[in-house]
Amino acid sequence: MTNTLLFANNIIKTFRNGEHETCVLKGINLSIPHGKMMALQGASGSGKSTLLNILGLLMRPTSGELRLLDHSLINLSDAQLSTYRNQHLGFVFQYHNLLPDFTALENVAFPAAAPTGRLTSEIKKRALLLLDKVGLSHRSHFLASQLSGGQKQRVAIARSLINNPKLVFADEPTGNLDQDSAKQVMNLLRDINQTDNTTFLISTHDNSVAANCDDIVRIVDGKIAGV
Amino acid sequence: MPFSLIVAWRYITANSLQTLLLVLGVSLSVVVFVFITALINGLSIFLTQETTSKIAHIELEPANKIASVLTNDNRFVAQPVSTLQRKQIRNWQQVIDIAQSTPGVSVISPIVDGNAFLVRGEATQPIAIQGVEPSKVDAITNISRYIIKGTAELTTGGLIIGADLADELGLLVGTPVLLKSERGPERLLPITGIFRVNLASLDKRVGFLSINVARPLFELPDGITSLGLKVDNPADAPAIAMVLQNSTQLKSTPWQEKNKSLQDATDAQGRTGNFIQGFALLAIVISIASALLLSTYRRRAEIGIMRATGISRQFVATVFILQGVFIGALGAFLGAAAGYQLCVQLASITKADGSAMLPIAPSEGSYMLVIILTIVGSALAAVLPARSASSVDPVEAIQQ
Ligand SMILES: Nc1ncnc2c1ncn2[C@@H]1O[C@H](COP(=O)(O)OP(=O)(O)OP(=O)(O)O)[C@@H](O)[C@H]1O
Ligand SMILES: [Mg+2]
Repeated sequence: MTNTLLFANNIIKTFRNGEHETCVLKGINLSIPHGKMMALQGASGSGKSTLLNILGLLMRPTSGELRLLDHSLINLSDAQLSTYRNQHLGFVFQYHNLLPDFTALENVAFPAAAPTGRLTSEIKKRALLLLDKVGLSHRSHFLASQLSGGQKQRVAIARSLINNPKLVFADEPTGNLDQDSAKQVMNLLRDINQTDNTTFLISTHDNSVAANCDDIVRIVDGKIAGV
Repeated sequence: MPFSLIVAWRYITANSLQTLLLVLGVSLSVVVFVFITALINGLSIFLTQETTSKIAHIELEPANKIASVLTNDNRFVAQPVSTLQRKQIRNWQQVIDIAQSTPGVSVISPIVDGNAFLVRGEATQPIAIQGVEPSKVDAITNISRYIIKGTAELTTGGLIIGADLADELGLLVGTPVLLKSERGPERLLPITGIFRVNLASLDKRVGFLSINVARPLFELPDGITSLGLKVDNPADAPAIAMVLQNSTQLKSTPWQEKNKSLQDATDAQGRTGNFIQGFALLAIVISIASALLLSTYRRRAEIGIMRATGISRQFVATVFILQGVFIGALGAFLGAAAGYQLCVQLASITKADGSAMLPIAPSEGSYMLVIILTIVGSALAAVLPARSASSVDPVEAIQQ
């Protein structure tokens, strides 16, 4: 049990649309071990994003239990969840990942600079190091809006790592990229996973992406079908 | 520098054209505020100056009631005057000493005044005579400045009258005229000067005499009827009048009491000004609130990303408040500078006679006030957008 980073027990999520109720997650049980790179698969509309949002503390489940590093997260306030996200979790999304009016460096530094209130030289140094890791140190002063799609995703990956998160969630990080860029991004994630022992949970439609991971989790009919 | 400041500044400079227009809009409102403030204050100063330059700021007269006799050795007390007796100030030299040592009093002029008739041939005109010390003929009203014929010299024992009165009686400088006092005595006096102050009450009804000539005419060998005072700042007149009333027991009337309509007029102008000022500030608040609100919608996805990465609501809200403050401050300083320039330009436009076209006072634009109000108003205007921004739901914003 000590090897479990994130533990989800009987997570249920129901969306209500006026009279209409849709139960998307019907009792998800999942434990994510330290240092693994896991893929989350399932048909479109099966609830991958919903599950990632719940596990990533962006959305509250209708019911269920959620523990990160053996701390229960269910009763935390919004502000506390926000602090948890900032300090322990990283996010890479498919679209809208970066702030277009800020440089690559500033985007990477943002989650560290905003809570402390200062963009210190240490934070900048660390951001530059991460940009170097994703192969973009030569683009550090480009505005995010001036980067290509693949470059943006790599900057987003660098940003997700700025606060040394235990766990990084990536919701179809390659969904918007061509094959070469997608491959580059996946290699990068794998590389970071192996060198830094960072845990990843990556939702994807792409079987080749999933094949690159340690484990594959499938959602079928609102439940985990097999690990 | 705080990171929120960097972010706010980046946001308002990212769309520089929109920001420029917004700042220009704010500064235009500030210009309106400054202009109307400088105009209304200028008008009030002009009217007050016009009035106070021609009249006594404080008048000291014998009290109507019998003054109580105070037995305080250290303090001078006006002698009680019975209402049956002639109203006069006998110990006026002492009153002058007190007035002179009262802070704020600049000029003191003892006056013997009374009503009389000017008679020339068949024609008779009433006249209010002011008997003043010849050296103080200009103390209360700067008569010398308004002399159109002759001089303001009273030592020779002549009479100075207003131009309207002179016209009615066909009097010229040098013409002798008979002055009949209300108390009986009469005397033939030469006209030494004619003035036009452009105040009907003065030009038509008032004449100046040496106090020594006036004394026998009004049968006041020692006493005087009143003292006219000027003070350094006319606005202080009521306070100084109170002090004098207490220290002399004389009836002490500040000029404001006799010119209530002027006060009413300037008050009414002030209220009109407040309306316009209020609307100018409202325009600032509305334009900033709407522009920032639009920006929160445009930046929803970005705000969602910030919130997803665990950046607090407070940080997001602060960024939007600071944007409001930046825009407000830029508009305020730009508008204040432009408003000052405008007022200076307008104040320098003169009419044919050399007087200012607009009585605008560029130094009275309440610049600090408008800058503070604009910045505070802008910060308040940003509250609604800041709330809207900080309550963006990251999941919704990112999935769009
Ligand atoms: N806010 C919401 N209100 C109502 N229904 C929702 C909401 N969000 C998601 N859903 C529904 O929940 C289901 C799962 O959506 P989700 O986005 O998690 O699927 P997904 O597996 O990520 O799909 P995709 O592969 O297309 O990204 C969908 O049927 C969707 O319509
Ligand atoms: Mg999805």
